[in-house]
Amino acid sequence: MAGVQKSARVFLSKMAAIRGVLVDLSGTLHIDNTVIPGSIEALKRLRDTGLALRFVTNTTKESKSTLLNRLKSLGFYINEHEVFTSLTAARRLVEANNYRPFCLLEEDALNDFKGISMDNPNAVVIGLSPNSFCYQTLNKAFRLLLNGCPLIAIHKARYFIREDGLALGPGPFATALEYAANSTATIVGKPEHSFFEKALADMRIEPENALMIGDDAKDDIGGAQNIGIRGILVRTGKYRTGDEDRINPHPLHTGKNFSEAVDYIQRLCAIDQVLT
Amino acid sequence: MLQSKPGWLQKAVKGVLLDITGVLYNSGQGLGQAIPGSINAVERLKSSGIPVKFCTNETQCTREKLVSKLNKLGFSLTLNEVHSPAPLAVAYIKEHKLRPYLLVHTEALGDYADVEKSESNCVVVGDAAEEFNYENMNRAFRVLLESDNPIILALGTGRYYKDSGELVLDNGPFIKALEYACDVKTVVLGKPATSYFDGAVKKLGVPAENVIMIGDDLIGDVGGAQSCGIRGVQVKTGKYRLQDEQHETIKADGRVKDLAEAAELILQFNTVTT
Repeated sequence: MAGVQKSARVFLSKMAAIRGVLVDLSGTLHIDNTVIPGSIEALKRLRDTGLALRFVTNTTKESKSTLLNRLKSLGFYINEHEVFTSLTAARRLVEANNYRPFCLLEEDALNDFKGISMDNPNAVVIGLSPNSFCYQTLNKAFRLLLNGCPLIAIHKARYFIREDGLALGPGPFATALEYAANSTATIVGKPEHSFFEKALADMRIEPENALMIGDDAKDDIGGAQNIGIRGILVRTGKYRTGDEDRINPHPLHTGKNFSEAVDYIQRLCAIDQVLT
Repeated sequence: MLQSKPGWLQKAVKGVLLDITGVLYNSGQGLGQAIPGSINAVERLKSSGIPVKFCTNETQCTREKLVSKLNKLGFSLTLNEVHSPAPLAVAYIKEHKLRPYLLVHTEALGDYADVEKSESNCVVVGDAAEEFNYENMNRAFRVLLESDNPIILALGTGRYYKDSGELVLDNGPFIKALEYACDVKTVVLGKPATSYFDGAVKKLGVPAENVIMIGDDLIGDVGGAQSCGIRGVQVKTGKYRLQDEQHETIKADGRVKDLAEAAELILQFNTVTT
């Protein structure tokens, strides 16, 4: 404890004060329908610090409303406006460019695109969609790309954990389309800069005043640190031993779980108050 | 036809390699369709005495079925004139004692009848078409994840080709998908691999500098041939697109309307001095 406080004091004397926290959802607060122990209570403690709070998640299979319902039923208190999902970021991109997307998305995810015209498509949106990853649908997407339509990837994760083991994510299929049509996908979710920046802008804080908590060393922590947000890695979800050493610079802190990450932030805040 | 001798015929042609899909015929429903003039062009080239071999990455069916399909369309060619990646894959599998998971078209499974397939430790990726679905891709992915020495045997790395009048994905994109998902070594056994073209030239029995490859795929046919010292001529049939003419790195030695025009020019201008 004393060690943490000392290093934190040295650190804080050089760095800006913490004003806001970005939190990943899946693998950090919960895994599917299971709460990661201590997370509900820890989230309350984090709110009690008074820091601004946003949730940033690379959802591609379920819509924001399905996600919010799931979190609510698990016992988390999270407001809709606090959640930034890669699907809603994709929707904003689609709207800003007047795209009429051909969507490789699951039905539930399509709820986030309600009201957007998809006739006579002029863009392709790809997320994790096992039902769309068949030859006919991929061919259709490919022909649109070959005719010059842009490709938008919700994110490019390589794989994810399914009940029966590892399964391919949207990344490999986006890569297949990129190779076939010689095009480059625009990625909207983590670790893209713009995704983190939107959440920061919503909190009206600068990157140096923010922390990011997540289980994905590359996409959560590496992505955040690339734009100057300090990262706290948690050893839950997809974390594998040694992940903290697989990114450079290393995370500011690596904690056992979300609850311990919040302990760490509470200590930083306490020191912050002493310093100011 | 009044034409001067094209640049790609300045040097003597002693052997011709012909791509099949998009040059001889377009695949599609049933047998597909012969490209007008191609049946006669093959006939004329062969009867002129120039050795001809057929270089294809087509792996939607066994080689026997492919030859029989082309014969039915009217082409005169035999099994031993067809140079295709499946026998090369089988030889590689046996040499390295591999046990493949076959991500190939169901019609092509016969090419691997005598290969051990249980407890797979590598993946063969052919033109699997409808077999390229999520569950099969996952199966391939898991075989590669669990293998001590993960290898993809690629029966070509084509991006797309024309089928029933529409461009469709070839096996290359699916190989790139698996490569993106996990650490894997890919061994290319079809076009554009140099080993593939070297094998074809060997079958012709003439020097590579006297060989012409005629194909519709700028990268697989023209680029692949050129990297082996073979002249590459692109036909404007099959998957040809105007954009091919502005490719950054690959410049075709010649470009012709179709195989009929290529054969006409070869027969008109070729000077075999030996």
